[in-house]
Amino acid sequence: MADTLTGTATPAGTRASTPSVGAARGAARSARRPSRVRRAGIYLGLLAASGFAVLPLLWGLSTSLKPESTVLATPVRWIPEHLTLENYEAVLFHSQIPLNLLNSVIVSVVTVLVTLIIAVPAAYSAARYRFRGKAGLLFFILMTSMVPGIAVLVPLYYLAVKLGVYDTYLVMIVIYSAWQVPTIVWILRGFFESIPVEIEEAGRVDGMSAAGAFLRLVLPLAKPGLGAAAIITFVYVWNDYLIASTFVSDPDLRLISVGLYTYLTQYGTVWGQLTAAVMVTLLPMIIAFVLFERRLVAGLSAGASKG
Amino acid sequence: MALYLPALVLVALVSVFPIAYALRLSVYRTRALRTVEFIGWDNFATVLGPAGWADIARTFVYVVASLLLAVPLGLALAVLLNKQVRFVRLFRVVILLPWVVSQTVAALLWKWLLNGQYGPLHGLFGGEGPLSSTWGSMASLIVVNVWLSYPLATILCLAALQTVPAEQIEASRVDGCTPRQSFFQVIVPTIRSTLLILVIMLTLLYFNMVTLVYTLTGGGPFSGTQVLSLNAFLQSFQFFKIGVGAAYSVVLFVLNIVFGVAYIRVLKGKNDG
Repeated sequence: MADTLTGTATPAGTRASTPSVGAARGAARSARRPSRVRRAGIYLGLLAASGFAVLPLLWGLSTSLKPESTVLATPVRWIPEHLTLENYEAVLFHSQIPLNLLNSVIVSVVTVLVTLIIAVPAAYSAARYRFRGKAGLLFFILMTSMVPGIAVLVPLYYLAVKLGVYDTYLVMIVIYSAWQVPTIVWILRGFFESIPVEIEEAGRVDGMSAAGAFLRLVLPLAKPGLGAAAIITFVYVWNDYLIASTFVSDPDLRLISVGLYTYLTQYGTVWGQLTAAVMVTLLPMIIAFVLFERRLVAGLSAGASKG
Repeated sequence: MALYLPALVLVALVSVFPIAYALRLSVYRTRALRTVEFIGWDNFATVLGPAGWADIARTFVYVVASLLLAVPLGLALAVLLNKQVRFVRLFRVVILLPWVVSQTVAALLWKWLLNGQYGPLHGLFGGEGPLSSTWGSMASLIVVNVWLSYPLATILCLAALQTVPAEQIEASRVDGCTPRQSFFQVIVPTIRSTLLILVIMLTLLYFNMVTLVYTLTGGGPFSGTQVLSLNAFLQSFQFFKIGVGAAYSVVLFVLNIVFGVAYIRVLKGKNDG
């Protein structure tokens, strides 16, 4: 909480303290390169925010590396006295967590594929073709992304039981895809609109079919958008708890977020192991984020700026 | 048009049909998954009764407080990350990191961080820790929610800030604006539509948030963090009062529509003007 406040207060404070009567040239320069005092303020704000961002993660990491006997020791130690990997060993070799991770990978990857296969044609036709009721259809798609998941959970549960797909990968994949398609259509439409239509026209002149021009010319150019869409969908499935906990009760089909929560309730609060399990879950996400951060930011922004 | 069809069918099957079904369930008395008899508004009377209004009030506290913290924080961090200083890329990765953390994981990590007995911050709060009192747990819930969602705000604001032409800012400074004035009078109006979209996205996200509340506080202590979305979930899947749960869902859905439409109108109005 304190970090939040300093994070926002610092820049305002330094901004107010900069002299505003300086020559026009000085002002213009400071808009590009901040003065030393302001730079210090900027760093302070960035550091405070970074602290707020990583504090819970670091505390979890620290706990996961402590032997069980010292996890509950007071006074609290941020840096463990004895480092151990015993918690990680327990999680990786003597628990359900690896199985949960595998399930999450399977369901996430298939969901990403299904979502893209369905969303790409819709987004492309929304970006390129004029047809009657297009505005209405787009609005409809946008509205359905506003249907709260929780509001349709009961009917979907009922449907899943009726159709005999309760406790399957299939039901999770269908629901996840359906909920991601509107968002992804929205994001991809922005990407397709940013690709000049002349490229396809040139392809058509050279004798390509409409589909050929799309597959060979447009799709490669839209790769950054597709990448961002894939990551957004992947992270969404990886992080979901609601669907995974409602539509699956078989322990062998549990996804990772449900597995983690079960871990908490099943073994009581064995914080050392629990934080180790959390770290194992987070690691792939953090690696993916560090690698694809710029692409992701671009994708999210494209979706939001096309109003 | 044909290219649109698969998307439409899937969306209709998984979103539209179930909403219609939820509407039907909400006016029936239910036993397990069967509708027993038509009871009209009775389920809604439960939802909009005294206990229900307390839920609604808590929902608004949660949503509004989270918005008031997350949006300015996200914007401020976007401004900082838009400066040309060293290590800014590193800072950006670190500051945006909570974006990939799931609600379940965030709840577990913060629960452990805020632990009254063994957590590193227990000196700050004294006693049992913030999660043991009604106000403390609502405050914690809001802080964790802000922690989870400010990265999205920062990402969108950052992208919008980069579209503001530098000449425009410089021109306002030449005209004698202080940095603060040029921020509020030049930059903020330029990125207004992004800010509005952000507010819509976050409002809907907060209104419908179940997982974080369920895994962090479970609605307690003493219903101190019982919000509408959580109650829709608990009534349906823990108490198996599907009809009442559906009524909660419908109220939630109506709130979503009201806010969604209101925001869209504001957005359209501003764009035309």
